[in-house]
Amino acid sequence: MTSEQDREALAGEYVLGLLDGAQREAFERDIDHDRELDTAVERWRARFAVIDQSALEISPSPEVWPRIEAGLSKSRIVKQAASHEPDRASMLQQWWDSLWLWRGAAFAGLALTAILGGTLFLASTRADRQPVLVAVLLTDANVAAAVVNTFADGRTELLPLQDIAVPKGRALQIWTLWDRQTGPRSVGLIDQAKAAPLQLTDLPLGPNQLFEITLEPASGSPTGRPTGPIIAKGLTARSL
Amino acid sequence: MAGDARQRHAINLEQELRACAGGDKNALRRIYDQECPRMIGVAQRMLRRRALAEEAVQDTFILIWKHAARFDPERGAGLTWIYAILRNRSLSILRDERRLDTDADAGAIEAVSEEDDPEAAMSKLSDADALRGCLQALPAQRRDMILLAFVQGLSHGEIAGKLGMPLGTVKSWIRRSLIALKECLG
Repeated sequence: MTSEQDREALAGEYVLGLLDGAQREAFERDIDHDRELDTAVERWRARFAVIDQSALEISPSPEVWPRIEAGLSKSRIVKQAASHEPDRASMLQQWWDSLWLWRGAAFAGLALTAILGGTLFLASTRADRQPVLVAVLLTDANVAAAVVNTFADGRTELLPLQDIAVPKGRALQIWTLWDRQTGPRSVGLIDQAKAAPLQLTDLPLGPNQLFEITLEPASGSPTGRPTGPIIAKGLTARSL
Repeated sequence: MAGDARQRHAINLEQELRACAGGDKNALRRIYDQECPRMIGVAQRMLRRRALAEEAVQDTFILIWKHAARFDPERGAGLTWIYAILRNRSLSILRDERRLDTDADAGAIEAVSEEDDPEAAMSKLSDADALRGCLQALPAQRRDMILLAFVQGLSHGEIAGKLGMPLGTVKSWIRRSLIALKECLG
């Protein structure tokens, strides 16, 4: 295989989605400054495009467009902030552009406040206990939506950090995953965002254990596995 | 190529993307009206779950809006730009999902419909399409590897598992098939 063929095949694998995390990131850095490689990628996309065009058409649910519109107003805020002072030094401009960073910092602060708040609340009711493991559950926009606190005596609870819209006839189900072989287990079902105890009595619990909230039918997932969209997720970490 | 497929594109996507970059929300809505159902179809072939497919499409439209100014018609068509964003988004949701969903074949969520069968995906391509001709020139198993990756978003490892073949063989066959396809398509 010549190196020319190698590059061509690599571009094809990228378009097929076959490059894994690190490979993919390295490749994307390469195409940024390698015009030829970039062209090879575009050619593969054009070659395979007909397959996507042969996909079945499925009408979107009526709520899809309103959700997109809601997302647009958020991204416009980013734009306005970015263009607010166009004459600033480019470094500063980049900081403004990466508003998500500010937001992330703000939400990290919020999450911390909530964790502290939760701890204080618990300290007043159960004076001798501090959480031993904490998981901050983030939405895909990196907004902290809830915290899972676990205590030395094995008790675990969910504390929402913000209201989560739950449509009528649906509920929020909380899951944990500690082992791929076993799969996710349901540990709670709530009809609205509120503090709730989680049922982990017979389940293992440790650091780096995944917790997630999905939107499910009111009586819980019919399959015993998550079926609805993920509202938020996060991994446990030991508290100091 | 793709004569029939292209004819349904009534709007000029490149022009609409330029309007999006200028802040015209109606342009985004026109793209949505024309492409959304097909986009959900593409995402659902990878993600299986309808709710996740809609999530991928939603995210894609927000990304289109945010990055429309980056679209460069010199580099490629608006259609491939939009579907590249959709495919990226769907793949990253798929990878996230796999952290939770441990069923090797993901069959527990929704059974693979005939729609998702790799050969079925190919048979829907027009006879006149160059890609179809070149895919048909490949041995069936090699063709399926390419289609499983592109249509269902499977990784090398998942393809190896599904076809019961060693990972190294799958990797080298896919590379060779890509080179053969490139030569065939010119």
